[in-house]
Amino acid sequence: MPTSSDSGGRETPALAVQNLVAGYGDFAVVDGVSLEVPVGKVVAVAGPNGAGKSTLLKAMLGIARVMSGKVLLDGQDVTSAPLEKLARLGVGYVPQLDDVFDSLKVLENLEMGGYLCNRVERQRRIERVLQVFPQLQAKLHRYAETLSGGERKMTAIARVLMLDPKILVLDEPTASLTPELSRVVLEEQVRPLSAMGTSVLLVEQKAVAALAIADWAYLLVRGRVEVSAPAAEVLSDPNMREIFLGRAAAEVAARSVDAE
Amino acid sequence: MTGIEFYVVVLLVYLGTDLLAAWGLNLEYGISGVANLAYIVVIAAGAYTYAILSLGPDSGNGGFQLYVVGWQLPFAVAVIAAAAVGALVGVIIGVTGLKRIRQDYQGMVMLVISLMAVTVVGADTGFLNGQAGLSLIPNPFSSLSPAVGDWAYVAMVALACVIGFFVMRRFTGGPMGRALRAMRDDEHAVAAMGFSVIRLRLMSQAVGGAFGGVSGALLAAFIGGWSPGAWAYVETLALLTAIIVGGMGNDMGVSLGTFVIAVLLLQAVQFLPQISSHTGLTEALGWIILGVLTITFLWVRPQGIFKERRPFYRSPGETERSAPGDSATGRVAAPRA
Ligand SMILES: Nc1ncnc2c1ncn2[C@@H]1O[C@H](COP(=O)(O)OP(=O)(O)OP(=O)(O)O)[C@@H](O)[C@H]1O
Ligand SMILES: [Mg+2]
Repeated sequence: MPTSSDSGGRETPALAVQNLVAGYGDFAVVDGVSLEVPVGKVVAVAGPNGAGKSTLLKAMLGIARVMSGKVLLDGQDVTSAPLEKLARLGVGYVPQLDDVFDSLKVLENLEMGGYLCNRVERQRRIERVLQVFPQLQAKLHRYAETLSGGERKMTAIARVLMLDPKILVLDEPTASLTPELSRVVLEEQVRPLSAMGTSVLLVEQKAVAALAIADWAYLLVRGRVEVSAPAAEVLSDPNMREIFLGRAAAEVAARSVDAE
Repeated sequence: MTGIEFYVVVLLVYLGTDLLAAWGLNLEYGISGVANLAYIVVIAAGAYTYAILSLGPDSGNGGFQLYVVGWQLPFAVAVIAAAAVGALVGVIIGVTGLKRIRQDYQGMVMLVISLMAVTVVGADTGFLNGQAGLSLIPNPFSSLSPAVGDWAYVAMVALACVIGFFVMRRFTGGPMGRALRAMRDDEHAVAAMGFSVIRLRLMSQAVGGAFGGVSGALLAAFIGGWSPGAWAYVETLALLTAIIVGGMGNDMGVSLGTFVIAVLLLQAVQFLPQISSHTGLTEALGWIILGVLTITFLWVRPQGIFKERRPFYRSPGETERSAPGDSATGRVAAPRA
């Protein structure tokens, strides 16, 4: 279980934060969060709008200001390390907003993602991500500015896959995708990545879909971790589900799970 | 050489040096998004560098002007040094823009730098001869007859432009330009790809500065003089107008803008009849027209004559329009023929 109490004999988590207090200026949005992403696991973070989920990710990535606490990458202290250093250490990040380069074509976005590898490898990876998102093939020479919301997200995820990251940090990767494509992205892209050893930290509004592929779930409310539990447990326990999803959403979720 | 011929020579040299400068500034402002309102300072740095390296010791000529260095170096060496100093000054100016402040504040900082630099250089007579400036700056073709020498100078400026054009294209068109444009869109996202934003920024400042340095050197060598009056902050605004009118970030647009604004317009006002009771009015009129043009374009056509890109360009083979709800069909994973 990814809690600090019993981490003694286990392998070092790919990514961990300890008592992180972070925010903007002097204003702490994240208020003492501890969290772990074990190697090859998917960890989902849910929570209401404004809970501080994005801020938590930004603080881990050296974008938001860390006031206290630590960020550990493979056990190494990377608190407030510059983002490019983290990228070189194998962390891939898809921001919630500003997720693609508007002034560049889709293909150029992908090439930017392959900056750290050589030309041959970059070409190989482009072909690979185009197999993942075949509908991007036809848009390769479109400026990202002109893409639909869903195409943008696909481009953003494709771009981060170009990095071949060891650790993937995704801030609502399925926002503006259709429910079906969201499921495909999560189940057919994100999940298999973790099976291949990539560790994933996933912030997601579509909590059911996220929990379905996650190993562990955190609920963040007003900058604090309210619940930390195995994802399967959250999904199967009606009370937990209610807490995670809010009542109305929980009912919908119950129906969709029962229907399967 | 007839008067009109000489006038054409002057215009061409201005055009060439303005082109180099506009390309450099476009790299910083149009491509990388650094509002360098102190760009004229790198041009001045290049001009002064060329001057003091190519002039002999200041004790010559009866010591009527005072300056440092005075090494009498060959033309090419002095120009290359001017490029290097321009790059260095560009980087120093760029450092002030590294702090993540809003672009408009950044512009203000740069403007202040520009004003300070003129004041400081103008105040100290021992350094670069103060307000009076430097004169007798050597022209590389002074041994030729004026007719041949002037055209030789034009040819050399043209050559510098050709080289400059190819260098610029490397930075605006290739992977580097891509990275710079991406940085303008979003610094964090570029960093997330493994780029060092600081390195990218300073690199664009260095390259932009080198362009300015060469531009200044070629200008000073042609005019033969250089003083604080030649590099007031408004000169940057003329280049900026050229970029905005032509089309920020678009190489062709910037070149056209330079031709129309920096050369044609500023020359055209010289031909307006002088009003003897208001000397300097025509020159002021040039600046007024520039200002009005900038404002008009920012209001009516902020992308300039040439847009940076064609946003609605479709990929070859892309159908008119993807079927609505295309991505909802669930067949997303099936590769399309
Ligand atoms: N750049 C910023 N400067 C100041 N405050 C900010 C900034 N970005 C976010 N905030 C504030 O921090 C709080 C948390 O924002 P955050 O983006 O982390 O929420 P979130 O949990 O990701 O929400 P959502 O689900 O809507 O994406 C909000 O109150 C927000 O207004
Ligand atoms: Mg968010």
